[in-house]
Amino acid sequence: MAESELKALLREGYSKLFYQNWPVWLAGVILGILSVLCFAWARPWGVAGGLKNWGDWIYYAIGIYKSRPEPLFTSTNSLLTLGLLWGAFGSSLMSKEFGIRVAPAWELLKGIVGGSLMGIGSAMAGGCNVGGFFSATSALSLSGPLMMAGLLIGALLGLKYLYWELEHIPTGGGSGPVVSGDARPNSKAVQPYLGALVLLASILVAYFYAQEALTREGVLLLFGVAFGVTIQRARFCFVRGFRDPFMTTEAEIPKGITFGLIISILGFAALKWTGLRGEAVYVPQAFWFGALVGGIIFGFGMLIAGGCGSGSVWRAGEGQVKLMLAVLCFCLTTSPFENWINSSEGVTKFMGASVFLPSYIGYFWSVVLLLLFFLLYMVVAMWNERTERFLVEP
Amino acid sequence: MLEDIKPDQTLDARGLSCPMPILKTKKAIEKMKSGEVLEVLGTDPGTKNDMPSFAKRAGHEYLGHKDDQGFTRFYIRVK
Repeated sequence: MAESELKALLREGYSKLFYQNWPVWLAGVILGILSVLCFAWARPWGVAGGLKNWGDWIYYAIGIYKSRPEPLFTSTNSLLTLGLLWGAFGSSLMSKEFGIRVAPAWELLKGIVGGSLMGIGSAMAGGCNVGGFFSATSALSLSGPLMMAGLLIGALLGLKYLYWELEHIPTGGGSGPVVSGDARPNSKAVQPYLGALVLLASILVAYFYAQEALTREGVLLLFGVAFGVTIQRARFCFVRGFRDPFMTTEAEIPKGITFGLIISILGFAALKWTGLRGEAVYVPQAFWFGALVGGIIFGFGMLIAGGCGSGSVWRAGEGQVKLMLAVLCFCLTTSPFENWINSSEGVTKFMGASVFLPSYIGYFWSVVLLLLFFLLYMVVAMWNERTERFLVEP
Repeated sequence: MLEDIKPDQTLDARGLSCPMPILKTKKAIEKMKSGEVLEVLGTDPGTKNDMPSFAKRAGHEYLGHKDDQGFTRFYIRVK
């Protein structure tokens, strides 16, 4: 009897973890904690940097770039993003949600255009919704909140485009069922076992990294995996933080983002204030032009693609072909764009300056100001949920 | 039971990802009469969360979903 009770308990636990979605606010809290731990361990969380590294490698492989990019498997940028993809893949298997999903041609084209725009926007803003917004804001950089303004404007423009498209372009769905995974009921039953293997393998890889005296890198891969699992299980979609206030007025994600940022801002401030981490880390040279205009371009792109920097990667990990294309095109545009911006001092200056808030108003007021700003964002989003004040109808 | 539902209209949103299934559902419902049932076919895992919360916010009755071979069928009764 006792044994079967234990079995039932484990089964229920598994179902809670993998068959039901995690609450978004909880995922926000976990992301905030992971973000601080990741910075304390080595460096802040980012996604676009990894995509840039992959883009560099693609151009190098086909002979366009002459100099060898940073190694794929030791670059911390690349490892964090690889981990995100890995974690989302494993987690989608464990929750039986993995399946290669082919979208209709028009949607694939939107993935290509959206991904390309995001690559350009993130090069300008010094990162995507993660590095340019979430981590940059945590790092007490003023370009983080400014990119957020850009993301909101871009999301609004993108939503207007989607409404227009619905009326004017007859895009059908119905590309048929999922071609693998879901389509074969038998394969669904084995998915949790495969998923467990995939996730365990990441731990094994981190162990081998440690054997090679690359503990720092190996653990960063695991951080990426943890971000991937958390985001996939909660379907934590940053796009919704900027789109939903206009589309459905739901405030779930704004709440999650705020919870995460409160923790992350406090943690980063502690690490920088005490001198444990450099003050300039993750303060992009993007105030104001790069952050604002890059944010708008990125925001529009993420609406078209249906996924942001992190969102495209985790959805690619669960088998969505449209988002795989978006990720590929993100890599292909962000790499030359960022290299171009970095190659010329004039262009770099044009994108903006590094504005580290505590240099102007001190740590205390920087933290207070940022916390109030995001609490305000959350409260306005919740008020909008009731009043539908910002709802944009087609 | 969901098995007994005879939908008045079916929207095929298979292959589409967020937010397209919800936007198309919204558009389809606008052309339907009160009390009619819309069936939506979808493949995006996110839709299982989005469809009920969309229906609730818009005041329609969410009747539920059932998994088919490689996709999911959602049912909404128009308010």
